Amino acid sequence: MGKIIAIHSYKGGTGKTLLSTNLATLYANNGKSVCLMDLDFRAPSLHAIFKVHTEYWLNDYLNGVSDIKKVLIDLSKSHTRRGRLIVGLANPSTEAIREMTAKDRKWEMKALGRLLSLRTSLLNDMNLDYIIFDTSPGLQYSSINAIVSADVVLVVTGMDVSDIKGTQRMIDELYDLFEKKTGLIMNKVFAEVLVSKTQRSELAKQLINKYNLPLIEMIPCFCDILKTGGTTIFANENPEHPFMKTLDKVATSIDNL
Amino acid sequence: MSLPKRLEQTSASILQKIKDSLDRLNEKMEVMIEIQKHGQRLGQEGVPDVLDVMTLLSLPDHLRKTAITLCKLEQATADEVAEQTKRARAVESGYLNQLVLMGYVKKERRGRKAYFYIEKEVEPGGGNKTWEKS
Repeated sequence: MGKIIAIHSYKGGTGKTLLSTNLATLYANNGKSVCLMDLDFRAPSLHAIFKVHTEYWLNDYLNGVSDIKKVLIDLSKSHTRRGRLIVGLANPSTEAIREMTAKDRKWEMKALGRLLSLRTSLLNDMNLDYIIFDTSPGLQYSSINAIVSADVVLVVTGMDVSDIKGTQRMIDELYDLFEKKTGLIMNKVFAEVLVSKTQRSELAKQLINKYNLPLIEMIPCFCDILKTGGTTIFANENPEHPFMKTLDKVATSIDNL
Repeated sequence: MSLPKRLEQTSASILQKIKDSLDRLNEKMEVMIEIQKHGQRLGQEGVPDVLDVMTLLSLPDHLRKTAITLCKLEQATADEVAEQTKRARAVESGYLNQLVLMGYVKKERRGRKAYFYIEKEVEPGGGNKTWEKS
């Protein structure tokens, strides 16, 4: 039985999409079958990263006007070396974004039902090993729906004080209530902090105490990642990059959560 | 048709009617017991409320677990929910009935089993028809 992983954060810009795309590709390159879904309907990004277009979007699936199979695009040939990589895109048009932000509670309830049924349609019927949800930041319907539907939630945080405080509150008031397996990823950590072993373990201890969550990984800030402007999928184009070495550990930790 | 045969048929249909009425009565009793136990009233004249994630968040922990399990199963008996939550059937039955009273969940009796589900489509006017069906 496969696993649904939601990648979430309190604030935007923490690196959720970079982690989602590379983690999905990494799993696929390891021979797994993976479906990556863009559930950030306010700021869709996967269409730009994978440079693909589609007639049907995840918006249509959640609106009940399209079957999930019509939405999914198989990128295995162009984007993986071994396994299977399928993506579901969020519609980036302004009209679609506006439409998605104006949904009522009843719609959100149905959307939750549709996300929950992906377990049967994708994990069971299509035999996928992983579904990865790239979510909107903060506490909003689409991301909470994704969290409720997932088996594992990875919460990504930066070192910014407002991010740390918000993430802490979100864990106490949201994740704990839904009793989710949750792991913490601290992203964009100053590289100097991670060089010395003592400093590294001191920071890890602080984080575990603060969040009371298993610490999946502390990922250093890489200037060369910023330089690529989101155009590179490191798992394919630069698999030897230290970022990918860290992500390897993330992938293993998720399976052990 | 002979008289004894007719009598037999009539009594069988009367017995069936009595059984159906008893089933309905049983159902209503369960609700009344729940109302007494939890002091809950049907919210807003029985208009079903929406079980979205924000509502899930606002529910007490014990009911949230039941409600999320039902969301995942789409429709289920108290037995099936109990199997997932690893709590006793009677406990889940109580919680499910409480969610019914709160207007978040619907209940339908089919034969001897009671099925709980989250309503997908609310009829215009939002009337709660669950009890009429049974």
